[in-house]
Amino acid sequence: MSDSNQTHFGFKTVNESEKANKVGEVFHSVARKYDLMNDVMSAGLHRIWKRFAIEVSGVKAGDKVLDVAGGSGDLSRLFNKKVGPTGQVILTDINASMLAVGRDRLIDEGAAVPALQCDAEKLPFPDNYFDCVIVAFGLRNMTHKDKALAEMRRVLKTGGRLLVLEFSKVWKPLTPIYDAYSFKLLPIMGKLFAKDADSYQYLAESIRMHPDQETLRQMMLDAGLNKVDYYNLAAGVVALHKGWKV
Amino acid sequence: MFQPLLTRLLNHLVTQNQWARSHLLPFSGKTVSFYLPPAQASLTILEDGGLAVAGETSHADASIHLSASLVLRLLAKDSDAMSQVRIEGDTELAKTLAKVLQNIKWDYEEDLSKVLGDISANKASTFAKDTVKEAKQQVVNFAEMAAEYWQEENPLIAKKRHVEDFVQQVDVLRDDVERLEKRLAKIRVK
Repeated sequence: MSDSNQTHFGFKTVNESEKANKVGEVFHSVARKYDLMNDVMSAGLHRIWKRFAIEVSGVKAGDKVLDVAGGSGDLSRLFNKKVGPTGQVILTDINASMLAVGRDRLIDEGAAVPALQCDAEKLPFPDNYFDCVIVAFGLRNMTHKDKALAEMRRVLKTGGRLLVLEFSKVWKPLTPIYDAYSFKLLPIMGKLFAKDADSYQYLAESIRMHPDQETLRQMMLDAGLNKVDYYNLAAGVVALHKGWKV
Repeated sequence: MFQPLLTRLLNHLVTQNQWARSHLLPFSGKTVSFYLPPAQASLTILEDGGLAVAGETSHADASIHLSASLVLRLLAKDSDAMSQVRIEGDTELAKTLAKVLQNIKWDYEEDLSKVLGDISANKASTFAKDTVKEAKQQVVNFAEMAAEYWQEENPLIAKKRHVEDFVQQVDVLRDDVERLEKRLAKIRVK
């Protein structure tokens, strides 16, 4: 971005102050059918990717975990089982509609997980508090990714891990098929299942504008994490980055 | 695609073998690479003592180099084979992980019992164990029979005794040649 007050909203360029509201509108619109659409779009693979993130997190009983942009709460639910009664999981999201879906679902399942509406760029937690911070399919919607990464690092204890699960750059030979799927099929599916083609058009565009594996790795290192490694999942459709605060 | 499944399997095995977790925990965050040409795989020890497939940019703290024949000997529990494995880097880490992987056991009866119930799982597991034992015995019998045929009836394989005799004769010949070379050298000096 040449103008420091502007940022991406999908393929469009908007003022930074507008992005959060526009992203908010998208997620407000898709909140109720978010998981259904994820299942349809990824053929259920998003559940495997999320479980993999939990396996790789190294979280154990008694740990403190922060689920940033956790929305529908599926990761918080799984982490809550892993940390047990001696641990703590906190679910956060900037979007009230998404957070309400996750909060209600967790309460219905009897999971006592605090749900907080907050901005990932200004986390309301003390320094060195969590053993693990995770953001799954949320970072690309943040206006200042660098600030959000630095904040997530701040709240990590020494030895803690930051996990970023996000769409990434697909293996080059598969790019034409992936593009056709994202820009032709995805909005149609959005229209059919969520009655909202525009929001799913934004999802496809925001995925393309998100940094690739190596760029995100460097951003995490720049945010102050001492070591960062990543996994390509489904030929790079999704990447899981794991960074350590040493 | 296989990373999530393999990592899940590894962690499931570690959960079933809790002793392994305590061995691995002191090495959390470290990575070991296994080389079995042309294949290569790396495993990372997690912060909870579990195991995961290593990521794309992981740096190996130790590497274990194997050959196909060595793997077969390790699988056959040949006690001398372990001493021939080449280890580079953090040898303590590599030895611990190798020991864990060698001794970890899959309690498949426990897993089956969740699907089939205890009694059926026990019967299925006993049947599987008996089948594998019988198959192993049949393979050993066949191999012994084939070896005997190729040693006695249609000699293709040398007998151990003959190989040892041959090796001894080669040693004698080598010593004789060395002595002869020294004598020739002395004559040349004179």
